Amino acid sequence: MPLWLDVLYSFDMTSETLPKNEYAVAARGLTKTYGHDSTRVEALRSVDVAFQRSKFTAIMGPSGSGKSTLMHCLAGLDSADSGEIIIGGKNLLSLNDDQLTEMRREQIGFVFQSFNLVPTITAQENILLPLSLAGKKHDKAWFNTVIDALGLRERLTHKPHELSGGQQQRVAVARALLTRPEVVFGDEPTGNLDSRTGAEVLSLMRSSTREMGQTIIMVTHDPVAASYADTVLLMKDGSLVGTIEGPTVATVSEALASLAE
Amino acid sequence: MLHVALSNIKTYARRYIAVVLAVAIGTAFLAATLAVNSSTQATLKNSLGEAYKDADLVAYADADLDPDAEEMSTLSPDTVADIRALSGVSKAYGLGYVYGQMHTADNGYTVQIQSVDPKQGLGGLELVEGRAPLSDNEMMIDEAHAETMGVSVGDVVALDDEQGKAQNVKIVGLQRSSANPRTSAYALAGMSEKAWSHIAGEQASFDSIVINGDASLDAVTDELLDYFATKKMKDIAVVTADQKVIDDVAQMTGGSDQLTMILLIFALIALVVTGLVVVNTFSVVIAQRTRELALLRILGAKRKQIRSSVLLEALVIGVLASVVGVVLAVALLAGLIAILHATVPAMSYAALAVTPFGLIVPIIVGILMTVIAASLPARRAMKLAPLAALRPFDAASMKNRAGIVRIIFGALLTALGAALLIYGALKGDLLIAFLGGLLSFPGILMLASLFVPRSVAGIGKLVAGNSTARRLAALNAVRNPGRTTSTATALLIGVTLVTMIMVGGQTAKASMNNAIAGEYPVDMNVSFYEGNVNDAKAKELAQKINAVEGVTATSTFVVTDVPVDLGEEEPINIGLLSVDPESFSKTVLDQKIVPQPGELVFSQWDYEKPTIKIGNKTLKVKNSGALLAGNPIAEETFKSLGIKSDNEYPGITIKVDDGISGSKINELVTEISDITGVDSSMIDGGVVMKSMFSQIIDVLLTIVSALLAVAVLIALIGVANTLSLSVLERTRENSLLRALGLKKKQLRSMLATEAVLIGGVAALLGMILGVAYGLLGARAALSAMGPMTYSIPWWQLVAVLAISIIAALLASITPGRRASKLSPVEGLATE
Repeated sequence: MPLWLDVLYSFDMTSETLPKNEYAVAARGLTKTYGHDSTRVEALRSVDVAFQRSKFTAIMGPSGSGKSTLMHCLAGLDSADSGEIIIGGKNLLSLNDDQLTEMRREQIGFVFQSFNLVPTITAQENILLPLSLAGKKHDKAWFNTVIDALGLRERLTHKPHELSGGQQQRVAVARALLTRPEVVFGDEPTGNLDSRTGAEVLSLMRSSTREMGQTIIMVTHDPVAASYADTVLLMKDGSLVGTIEGPTVATVSEALASLAE
Repeated sequence: MLHVALSNIKTYARRYIAVVLAVAIGTAFLAATLAVNSSTQATLKNSLGEAYKDADLVAYADADLDPDAEEMSTLSPDTVADIRALSGVSKAYGLGYVYGQMHTADNGYTVQIQSVDPKQGLGGLELVEGRAPLSDNEMMIDEAHAETMGVSVGDVVALDDEQGKAQNVKIVGLQRSSANPRTSAYALAGMSEKAWSHIAGEQASFDSIVINGDASLDAVTDELLDYFATKKMKDIAVVTADQKVIDDVAQMTGGSDQLTMILLIFALIALVVTGLVVVNTFSVVIAQRTRELALLRILGAKRKQIRSSVLLEALVIGVLASVVGVVLAVALLAGLIAILHATVPAMSYAALAVTPFGLIVPIIVGILMTVIAASLPARRAMKLAPLAALRPFDAASMKNRAGIVRIIFGALLTALGAALLIYGALKGDLLIAFLGGLLSFPGILMLASLFVPRSVAGIGKLVAGNSTARRLAALNAVRNPGRTTSTATALLIGVTLVTMIMVGGQTAKASMNNAIAGEYPVDMNVSFYEGNVNDAKAKELAQKINAVEGVTATSTFVVTDVPVDLGEEEPINIGLLSVDPESFSKTVLDQKIVPQPGELVFSQWDYEKPTIKIGNKTLKVKNSGALLAGNPIAEETFKSLGIKSDNEYPGITIKVDDGISGSKINELVTEISDITGVDSSMIDGGVVMKSMFSQIIDVLLTIVSALLAVAVLIALIGVANTLSLSVLERTRENSLLRALGLKKKQLRSMLATEAVLIGGVAALLGMILGVAYGLLGARAALSAMGPMTYSIPWWQLVAVLAISIIAALLASITPGRRASKLSPVEGLATE
């Protein structure tokens, strides 16, 4: 498919006018192993999973359960050995590096635990970075909506080191939302924050699903953070082992404790 | 991406200072080389063009125009007269010189005489005092020589023409002295055309005819060519004065192009070293930015965008540094020329010439070099996986795999080059040896990744001992073998070349000294040819010289020319050097030339018979190749020959202290010249020759070392740069060490040890290579001239090593201070 068609197609998928697929992200038969022979680790064992559009999903599990690997594969940062991942109507595993890069740029947003921002440029430039990498102009109205929703208007000209941890994470969230991607991935987005600031960021993320229709997938080990999600997926030894709808801190903690047994 | 790249440069400006400095120095070197070349040309144009400065056209004989002619056409005074008669010509004069001897009241001088006519532009000369010569016995002369001769306007001097006939000539004017290197050696005199023709005789001809025209130059040129055609002078070229100057400069600078070539080679070396510093800086900067670049990849930067962003940074730095370098070079040369003008008024024609070519080429080369050097690290950056942003920060330990292709290619080059080098050295063929060096050195550099990290690790282990800080330093020094290799290689190149030059020069000096010792049997030798010193006076002077500091022994001799019948048609004059064997033996370097009673040491040529008959006696003959004023014979033996001759003069042989330095020898020569009244140029001998050769070699060594020092300087900037970047990179780790109990002082000494290890080992390896290249090169260059004496300037090598180590220590100061200033807590918090 020529590049321009490709881009057009991906636009269609995100445009409001066309009927949407029920699932923003879907994966089937996802397998991933590391190492050889004695050091062989099966990080993902034929995982089938689908994430509902406009929902906030948390993936939980003990260390080594494969939750980070699953997220890296779904986000196109790591390549699965086999299976398929569909985002925006395309199978990630069949894309080359440039196509995958464009996919990340336009259809996927990221919020990490730390080191989210390029330290040399201002908050505003960081927020606009994916669009400027693509050489695109931003939608001013949407930019203002996002900035005001996250309370960043006063901070736009600051460099990352001039911002508090919570402000840095909010900048990262704004960056993720600005492209109106199919999905935003969060990798322990509140892991480095104190509980009050963390709660603030998580509320913002949740309200973005409710008010902006954003799909969010978050990896965390913190039951409090997971309790902000609509759904919690539980993983152990590279497989999905359970689901909690409408989670609370108590139900999540209990489920995790039973996984650890 | 543009703003990301630019903001990187802005934010990390300090990290780029060193690389900008290195590139600027390298570019400045190249720019200065080109500017020196163009300035030489301009200076020559100023001086060579002096004679034509008011002229329009120049006619001269060019053999290439009529290759079949047996003789070149002559431009006679008649030709000049004919040309003056041409309608388009307003002025014309012949330019040519005849030589004469001029006598003032107390001295005689050679003058070159040119014809001048005030109506015809005065031969291109500029009158500064008096008037132009009008009659045959009047003359003008250049002011500088007039002053040294002590003559002024109104004086009368005697002038011998080329036939040796003397006439009295009155000096009526002085003209501005010439800066033309072709004519400024002698006093330049101007005389009327008639007088000039008279002195030049019947063969009078000019080198060229200088013409001013009334009409358009093309018309005048055509008229002149018509004239020469009708005269059948096909080989006469008529060109504009400007063209003639350009031709003359080109002819003159056949040699100065070589200077430019040599300087270009040094500039190239400096640029290669600069390139290594750039590669290193960018590698380190990119290693530090791994997470940032990977984050950009996650957020949607394509591989090419990452590469372009790195190259863009290199481009900006290259542009900035190259421009700074070129400005630096021009300012430096302008300053030097200003100093020259201020201190040497006679050099007022020296000009700074900066051509657009000379400005643009260094800038382009500087930019290209920076971008090309950065493209290697940029490619590495491009290959970064996005996931690297999420990995723990471990950029400080990176594995570099040595490219197999590079190793094989390097090994081949080294083997081939070494074979050629050794062959060239054994056969005494400099060209083959040079080629061998040219191939093997890059080959060895390609293999550097094999031996440099290992040497650093090995020597690091040796010096570490029980000190934890030093052990850590040794490990840190080879933590990133690729980075260590390129840092060390930059320094190694410079040190190898400096050492090679030093060892080669020292060996050349030692070989020369030995060759001289074989030829010159005495250190110093004063001869009183002029007859104003008799034997007794010579003995008295010898006593005085003996008292001079640095002189260990003196002896006197008398040289007598004696006709000897050797069975040829006529007796042959042989110089007998009669000496007192006892004192003479103390002054000679080779005891074989001390004559025994009844013996003649024969040194004029290989004398075939065992005996020689002189006067009424037969003497035994011992042959010797020594260079002396005569053939040594014992005083007593000489007296017994009973020869009376007026044709004799005395002299003194002098032995000087062996450890005496070259500059002291010059003082000694002056002192002896003062004592004896003999001109210092007449005092010769082995020591004088040695000191002369040593001085020439030393001057060459100093110049070459100074040129190479630029490369070493750039490399040392590189060492400082790598270290300070490594320190930035290891902030957390150093803080952890501090938290675990490493004192500030220990941290600083750890970094100093690391720097010294890299710098010292690079210098050491460079020296080993340099010694090998120096000895082989010297053998290749000199073995054809005579037996070789190999000598290594140990103290100079120690100094080079010491300088490298001290510079490395200095390079560690700033990074060390920065690292130790950070409190452990701050450092650990730094992401």
